[in-house]
Amino acid sequence: MNINYIVKELFHRKRRTIVSILGLSIGVALFLILNALSLAYREAARAPLTEIGADITVQRAGNVPEELTGAVFPCSAVTIRREEINKIEKIPGIIGIGQAVLVWVFDPHRAWVVLGIERDNTIGPAILRVFVTAGRFLEDGKSEALVEIAYARQFGIKLGDNVTAAGRSFPVVGLVDASRAPKIAVANLYLSLKDAQAIAAASKLLQTVSPFAPDDINLLFIKAEQKQITSVAAALKEIMGEKAAIATPESFLKLLGSLFALSDKFTWAASLIALLIAILIAFKTMAGNISERVREIGVLKAVGWTQRNVTMQLLTESVIQCFVAGILGILIAVIVAFGLSFMTVNIPIPWEMSPKPHFLPGGGDQLFKTLRLPIHIPAMLAFFALLLSVFVGGLTGALLGRHIATIKPAEVLRHE
Amino acid sequence: MNNADILIGANLSKRFDDLEVVKDVSLIIKEGEFVSLVGKSGCGKTTLLSLLSGLEQPTKGQVILNGKEITGASEEELALFRREHVGFIFQSFNLIPTLSAWENVALPLFPIKMTNEQRQDRALELLNQMEMGHRTEHLPAALSGGEKQRVAIARALINNPKIVFADEPTGNLDSATGDAIMAILSELHKKQGMTMLMVTHALELAKTADRVIRMQDGEVIT
Repeated sequence: MNINYIVKELFHRKRRTIVSILGLSIGVALFLILNALSLAYREAARAPLTEIGADITVQRAGNVPEELTGAVFPCSAVTIRREEINKIEKIPGIIGIGQAVLVWVFDPHRAWVVLGIERDNTIGPAILRVFVTAGRFLEDGKSEALVEIAYARQFGIKLGDNVTAAGRSFPVVGLVDASRAPKIAVANLYLSLKDAQAIAAASKLLQTVSPFAPDDINLLFIKAEQKQITSVAAALKEIMGEKAAIATPESFLKLLGSLFALSDKFTWAASLIALLIAILIAFKTMAGNISERVREIGVLKAVGWTQRNVTMQLLTESVIQCFVAGILGILIAVIVAFGLSFMTVNIPIPWEMSPKPHFLPGGGDQLFKTLRLPIHIPAMLAFFALLLSVFVGGLTGALLGRHIATIKPAEVLRHE
Repeated sequence: MNNADILIGANLSKRFDDLEVVKDVSLIIKEGEFVSLVGKSGCGKTTLLSLLSGLEQPTKGQVILNGKEITGASEEELALFRREHVGFIFQSFNLIPTLSAWENVALPLFPIKMTNEQRQDRALELLNQMEMGHRTEHLPAALSGGEKQRVAIARALINNPKIVFADEPTGNLDSATGDAIMAILSELHKKQGMTMLMVTHALELAKTADRVIRMQDGEVIT
């Protein structure tokens, strides 16, 4: 094997070299981009849940009282009983849970969406503490409230004011900018979980359609082992029954409806087909290149190159081409991924996760979580593509080289 | 076997399908001898050269080159044998188009473990000997026919062969250039005592050799 000879051969046959390198590099780039897109959509689909510190949310559909006065549950989130929560906590794969109570409060002069939160739990809506733009977050053991800033502006509510919801009064200790907050589990008024449970438990109207004990809840946020999300979701369905609404990254992915989001198997198949076509192009080009050199190989053998010497020479040529193609493919994929990263994705939030009553102005509007496509080329995938490319080069070189190296010099030199 | 016999071909025959190209040929070439094999086109002289040099296996018969029987040897053994003992000069030069003149000369040394400098030194020495010292970095495409054949002769000599086989070495050259090439081959034989077997169809050129073997229809006639 002589590197100088290899490099000169590759430069001399520029057209074939460029075709095989470009063909394979486009295949490698397609393979990487298709997989990166699939991963990006999966990551994007996780965003509505991850931004609230969860992997799964659990609700249960139910009825709304005919008369809307005082505190009522939305029809998409009725009681989750304490004994159900105790069972859920024991499901294998669950790392932690967060609880909340969401109620609509229809007071004589104002309607509120009220959310009771666990102030010290990182799983669930307590993540809102970073969006407090004025005042402070809720303090432990105190009956106090946070008001969403746009709502406060609309109704002239200021820090230090007292607000009344369902007959209970709370001092306003902070204002929350919900426009920057997660799209699910948002409200106009944020209370401690205990206060919200007390409001729900005290509502006779609510109790008539969905019996609620003071330690029950109606929103559950679950952090789970990534690989067990599907099995956890199935176990949740079993405990919660048919009316359970369980949101997982997979369910958001389905809502996205993108081709790349449909199935990871589809993406793998499509990208492998692209790579296979590229490999065939490279194989054909390299085979053409080698068959053009039959006479040259005859000369090499005549002057004393063994079959092994010839095979190693052709194999190294092929590996170098495919290595360069692999590197080029990765570079193309990185550049394309950079371009695609400016794309935005709108992830629809299911209506049952929208906290606003649909019969109020804007309540029926489709909510979206909008984010830039989080696309990147994973290093392991790029390494795999490069390895595959080099393997293809090695295999092609070995197969073609071994075949062509068996020619007898006299056969090709005879026709002078 | 006499020590002075460097090449022995005994009862050599070569058949391609129904056509017997070489028919029961026997010949001996002694060390330091310059032999030419002459005959019309298609008489089987190139095939005989291929058999004697180990490029091709005979259908029947035996070849002993430098004391070693090469008939029946594997392709790999033959390649190694050619690398160590044999030099070739072809009618169409058969230079590698991507390699410079000195690299073409050094081509048989590429598979051998040695530094590139060592290869280059040996190649440049031979190119200088062929009066090609000023064209060492040129690609074959930039060389004239005579220059290409000088490079090919240098390549044939790079491994210090026991015998050089030349197949119509002037066949692609004009007469003046052909004469110059023949002068080089004669000098190699006379000054360095190089053993040579040259195939040609031109009787005039064949006479340059110590001995002329004539072939007709696959048989040696003189």
